[in-house]
Amino acid sequence: MRKTQLKNWQKMTPIGRMFHSLGIFILKRKIGQQIALFFRTIASLFASNHNFKNDSRNIILQTFFTGAEIFVPLFIVATLFGTVVIIEVISLMGKMGFSDIVGSLMVVVIIRELSPILTAFLIAGRTGSSLTTYIGGMVIDSEVDALATMGINPIRYLVMPSVIGGTIATIIMNIIFSASAIGAGFLVTKGIIFITGNAPNLQITWNYLSTEILKALTIPDFVFAIVKPFVFGIIITTNACYQALNIQRDIRQVPKATSRSVITSFLYIVFADVVLSLFYFISYMQNLSTII
Amino acid sequence: MLDEALRLEDVYLSTNELSGTPFSVPRAVNYFENIKASKNNEDRPLIAGANLTLKLGETICIGGPSGKGKSAILRMIAGLARPLRGHIYYFGEYIPAERLTALEVAKRQVGYVLQNAALISNLRVIDNIALPLRYHKMGTEDEILKKVNMAMDLMRVRNFANMFPHQLSVGMQKRVAIARSWAMDPKLLLMDEPTAGLDNYNRRNLLPLIDNMRTMFKTSIIIVTHDLMMAKELDCSLLFLDDKKLTEPHSFDYWLHSDNEISKDQFRDLQNNPQDI
Repeated sequence: MRKTQLKNWQKMTPIGRMFHSLGIFILKRKIGQQIALFFRTIASLFASNHNFKNDSRNIILQTFFTGAEIFVPLFIVATLFGTVVIIEVISLMGKMGFSDIVGSLMVVVIIRELSPILTAFLIAGRTGSSLTTYIGGMVIDSEVDALATMGINPIRYLVMPSVIGGTIATIIMNIIFSASAIGAGFLVTKGIIFITGNAPNLQITWNYLSTEILKALTIPDFVFAIVKPFVFGIIITTNACYQALNIQRDIRQVPKATSRSVITSFLYIVFADVVLSLFYFISYMQNLSTII
Repeated sequence: MLDEALRLEDVYLSTNELSGTPFSVPRAVNYFENIKASKNNEDRPLIAGANLTLKLGETICIGGPSGKGKSAILRMIAGLARPLRGHIYYFGEYIPAERLTALEVAKRQVGYVLQNAALISNLRVIDNIALPLRYHKMGTEDEILKKVNMAMDLMRVRNFANMFPHQLSVGMQKRVAIARSWAMDPKLLLMDEPTAGLDNYNRRNLLPLIDNMRTMFKTSIIIVTHDLMMAKELDCSLLFLDDKKLTEPHSFDYWLHSDNEISKDQFRDLQNNPQDI
């Protein structure tokens, strides 16, 4: 047995050996295994015995599970953050005489950055942790083993609906976050002005706010409002499932894996956000050179 | 046509493998990592050089003291643990150890009843039994329901069809697990302690069922058990896991009347009180 392995290894050409060792090097790392898990999830969609009806039911259930329970906290967080941003931006910019860039500042802060990141954090804390405990519990009770011995691929049965449903829910929740940050945030701002007798000294109408924001919106903003939560959703759910499936038959590993899943999700999200924002940085640089 | 269902040749299994199957790691990487780990730690091998041949339609019982790796052998055959060395042939087909996974084995119609039943806890009994059938699209919904009802009738769990697994007792869970495996029409069935937690009445019902399966469906069965009387009642050969190896299969009576160490350990009560048999 070991002899044949050595033989196979020696049979490879130097270039083949290089690719082999590179592959092993990547697959030994956790990040490589997570990427591999994601691709195996996608591949499992096209497995020979796919069952569209069952799969779509599982995915819709997972989407509701992710979306419905996070809705109330997400709505409150979005509204309050929107209020704070509207008040700060309008009062500060008005004082400094930059009232014409209020719209673009709102777009940058709420739609581009705050909304995808905060949605992803809330979903990582809620859905990511619950996915890890749920699948981790199944691993501990050897239910995952039982699934595999029945020929049911655990990646297809457990991971695939979570990843796809979680990603769809993240995209929907991101749109709800942006909408409620601006819409409900505006209402709360009006309420604050009404209660305090306009203590912040703001002149704000819905007409002014909406036209400013619509003027500042560009096509990349719409694209990234989909792309960012899409990437974040994949990161959160894949990471959560990876941490859960990695648990080794010890009940104390479940809470550890849960906290690891949430923390590493936060880390990856911020990294991915920086990478995705490079697109805007490049366009800023081009604008800067035209100005100079 | 080949007439063997399973053959183990000089199989070695380390205790490292028992920590569970991480489905998160690509299987080949995991396998090479485990080989390296077992070399570094000078890991204690659990099974060293076991040989076994099982013919189609044959039933064997594996006995032996607890903690010697009887369940580990079944886990290995089911593909949940991988041998360090040695060859495993399923129906004459060799699967190399780096490709040996539970999914790969399950494709060859090998069923496995786990020791703790391992029912999916968020599904009702009826859905638990129907789950693999629906996943593999084995027939229309009506056919599946018919099959599930038949399995439930056989194991006498029809009255509990709409209960969740945590509402059932341990013995009942076991019966549901056996029904779940039976519904899949396995060609080779591995049973880990099928009679543990069953009362005498249900144990007596289970034995004819096993007997039916092997005569009607030509199912090969491996049973790991402490209940050595089962081997006599099923009239199947019995072998023991001793000194990290599997002994030759012999009949119950051979072991009862033989004079070696295993017989003395395992059959002391029966040898001393022959009227109990």
